[in-house]
Amino acid sequence: MIEAGALFLLGAVVVGSALGVVIVPNAVYSVLFLIVNLLGLAVCFLLLNAVFLAAAQVLIYAGAIIVLFLFSITLLSPGGEHISADPRRWQRNVGIVISVALGALLLFLIFGSITGLGTPLPNSGATSGTVEGFGRALFQQFLFPFEITSFVLLVALIGTVIYGSNTLEDIRRGRLPRGER
Amino acid sequence: MIGATEFYLTLSALLFAIGAAGMLLRRNPLVMFMSIELMLNGVNLAFLTFARLWDNPDGDIFTFLVLTVAAAEAVVGLAIIIAIFRPRQGVDVDEIDEMKG
Repeated sequence: MIEAGALFLLGAVVVGSALGVVIVPNAVYSVLFLIVNLLGLAVCFLLLNAVFLAAAQVLIYAGAIIVLFLFSITLLSPGGEHISADPRRWQRNVGIVISVALGALLLFLIFGSITGLGTPLPNSGATSGTVEGFGRALFQQFLFPFEITSFVLLVALIGTVIYGSNTLEDIRRGRLPRGER
Repeated sequence: MIGATEFYLTLSALLFAIGAAGMLLRRNPLVMFMSIELMLNGVNLAFLTFARLWDNPDGDIFTFLVLTVAAAEAVVGLAIIIAIFRPRQGVDVDEIDEMKG
C-alpha cells in the first residue's frame, strides 16, 4: 500500500511538473520544472529496471540539454520575452480542445485495445533492462542502428558548426536580418 | 487499484498530451522545444514499459536512439532559434514571417 502511494506521488510529481513547464509564463521557470520532470522520469526508468537509461537520462537530459536551454534563454531574452497577448482567442481554445481530445484518445486506446495489461511487470529475473542485457542487445543485435546514430551525431555537429560560423560572419559584415535594419 | 503497467502507460499518455498542448498553446520557441522534449519523454516511458512487459530489449534500444536523436535535435534546433531571434527584441514565433508568400 505504501508502495502504491509512493508510485502515485511520483506520478503526481511528473504530471505536475509537466503542467508547470507548459503553464508557467516565465521560460526560466519552465526549464526548472523540466528538470523536476526529467528527474522524475529517471526514477520511473529505475523502477522499470532500466538502470543504464536512467543514468543516461540524468546525464544527457537533466545535464547537457538543460544547460543548453538555460544558456539559450538567458542569451535570447535577458530583458523579458516581449510576447504580446494573442489577438486570436479562438486559436487558443482550439489548441486546448485538440490537446485534451488527444489525451483522452490515447487513454481510451491504451485501456481499450492493448491486451496483456493487468499483469504485474516482471521486475525480478528480467534480463532486458540491466546494463549487461542492454549492452548485448546494442552491440550484437542492433550494431548497425548504433553506428547510424554516431553518424547522425556527426552530421548534427558539422551542421551546427557551419551554421553558427556563417551566422557570425553575416553579423560581422553588418548583414543583419530584417528586424535590425 | 490499477497495475504498474497501466500506471506508466497513463503517465506516458498524459505527458504526450501535455507536451502537445504546450506545442499548440505557447508562442515562446524555447518553451515549444521543451514541450517537444516532454512528448519524446512520454514516448520513451511507453517504450520502456512495453520492453519490460514483454521482457524484450527492443524498447530499451529504441529509447536510447530517441535519447541520442533528441540531443542532436536540441542542439541544431537551439542553434537555429538563436540565429533567428538573436538580432531581434524578444522571442515571439508569430513575428517570424520572412517566408510568408
